[in-house]
Amino acid sequence: MNTAAQLFFDAASLGGIYAMAALGIALIFGVMNLVNFAHGQYIAFCVFALIVPSTDAVAVMFLGRAPAFLLIPLLLAVGAAAAVASEYAVFRHLRKATPVAMMISSFALGFVIQNALLATYGGRPKAISLWPELNTPVTVMGASVPLLQLIVILATLTVVAGLALLLKKTRIGLEMRAAAENFTMARLLGVRANVVITGAFALSGALAAAVALIMATQTGVADVRMGGQIMLVAFIATVIGGLGSLPGAVAAGFLIGAVSVLLQAYLPLDARPFRDAFLYTLVIVSLLVRPQGLFVPSSAKPRV
Amino acid sequence: MSRLGVFDVSVRYGKVPALTDVTLHIGEGERIFISGPNGAGKSSLLKAISGAVPTAHGRIELDGDLLTGRPPEAVARLGLSMVPEGREIFGRLTVEENLRVGTGIRRDADAVEGDIAEIYRAFPILAERRHASAGALSGGQQQMLAIGRALMTNPKLMMVDEPSLGLAPKIVDQVYDTLVALQEERGLTLLIVEQSSVRAGRVGGRMILLRGGQVVGEGDAAAFADKDALTEAYFGKTGKEAAE
Repeated sequence: MNTAAQLFFDAASLGGIYAMAALGIALIFGVMNLVNFAHGQYIAFCVFALIVPSTDAVAVMFLGRAPAFLLIPLLLAVGAAAAVASEYAVFRHLRKATPVAMMISSFALGFVIQNALLATYGGRPKAISLWPELNTPVTVMGASVPLLQLIVILATLTVVAGLALLLKKTRIGLEMRAAAENFTMARLLGVRANVVITGAFALSGALAAAVALIMATQTGVADVRMGGQIMLVAFIATVIGGLGSLPGAVAAGFLIGAVSVLLQAYLPLDARPFRDAFLYTLVIVSLLVRPQGLFVPSSAKPRV
Repeated sequence: MSRLGVFDVSVRYGKVPALTDVTLHIGEGERIFISGPNGAGKSSLLKAISGAVPTAHGRIELDGDLLTGRPPEAVARLGLSMVPEGREIFGRLTVEENLRVGTGIRRDADAVEGDIAEIYRAFPILAERRHASAGALSGGQQQMLAIGRALMTNPKLMMVDEPSLGLAPKIVDQVYDTLVALQEERGLTLLIVEQSSVRAGRVGGRMILLRGGQVVGEGDAAAFADKDALTEAYFGKTGKEAAE
């Protein structure tokens, strides 16, 4: 077995998930200086949208029953709609609030979503079976990797390339980039604040849905708490990448994925249970050395 | 009917009044200078017109359309464009992307490419650097870009806030030459905030003098520049220094 190739696929697929989640956070931060801590709950919401609402222990597939070519766009739309709805219900009323007030509201929104899921689906994790055949291992470059890992890597590259194209080549992309840099000036040039912000939330929600599809396939579980951990890592990735910087968020997502896989592989056995402690120590060190983010030129002005 | 009408407009920041009962009119194709010392309310007036700050009182109309109470993006759609103080170009966007940001509101999408070519003819340096990121331009080039960007919305009225700020006098001459030429070509209506009455007098136009948030004088810019005593009275010593 080829260890290097194995590690590479592990790191790239884990990093890909982090990168997609981090992008979802960075997109919204870019246009409205909001760190949306409800992003993790968008992910959980999308996972539960796959199954029929019920508190029964056995999950019955709902959207999850649709064939992939329908399910994927459908769930992306569900994620986008959930995020846009939350903007409409909550953040739209806080446009003039301080970033701290918005952030705390996002926590509150996260709890509301989580508890709504809890009330609808019950607290016990449920086994779900979404595309189980994707977990069968295939051999690539001497490494045995689940097909899903390859798909995740491919999906991440597609998402990043698609997003880059959207931002570079479309009208809404141009407006979003202009608004991310100077919202007031963009509005003075006729860029509609609501359109740009709704667009950012829709993209962010669709990214959450993509992460949800991957997590549901990978873990085979629907759990109301499932967005929390990845939200934390994704948030750290956006900070390390330089808040609001999309390339930075992607790079940092991959970096954190790589570092956690390497730590898992090379830490002494006794220390492995404490992998995350080592990971977060590295995060602290990186923030001490480059508080503005690893992937932002040091001349850039701080955004927060 | 005047192009821009400002009727009894007041602006307050909290309890601090920035503008009090300002009334002014600008005719189509006219060039107006707003002048006055620091804190006179020049920028507040521009912000109130553009919708960036709310008015506490009064009414603002552009070609009879009510601007007051509308957000900046709606005001821009009604035909008002702004070259803000400090230029505020999008540094991470390319020069050409900067020019395109404001074209989303235009109904004549076919004319956009031609207009971009025209901006490049007026500012050849921008054409040369069209794919460079705008943050890499010099101050003077950024001012040109900010003007080009404002023109690309095809405005009825263009407002320019302190175009001479932070630029070498020679560059300021260029900026004003360009503005005047553009105005003559396009029949543009221009409202320019200019602290230096001497500069305004040299360029020529009508001048409105603000002080303490109120209109305290109005007349031909050249006449204002000549009247040293008057300038002294309104600007004090610092104003006169700034004028030179």
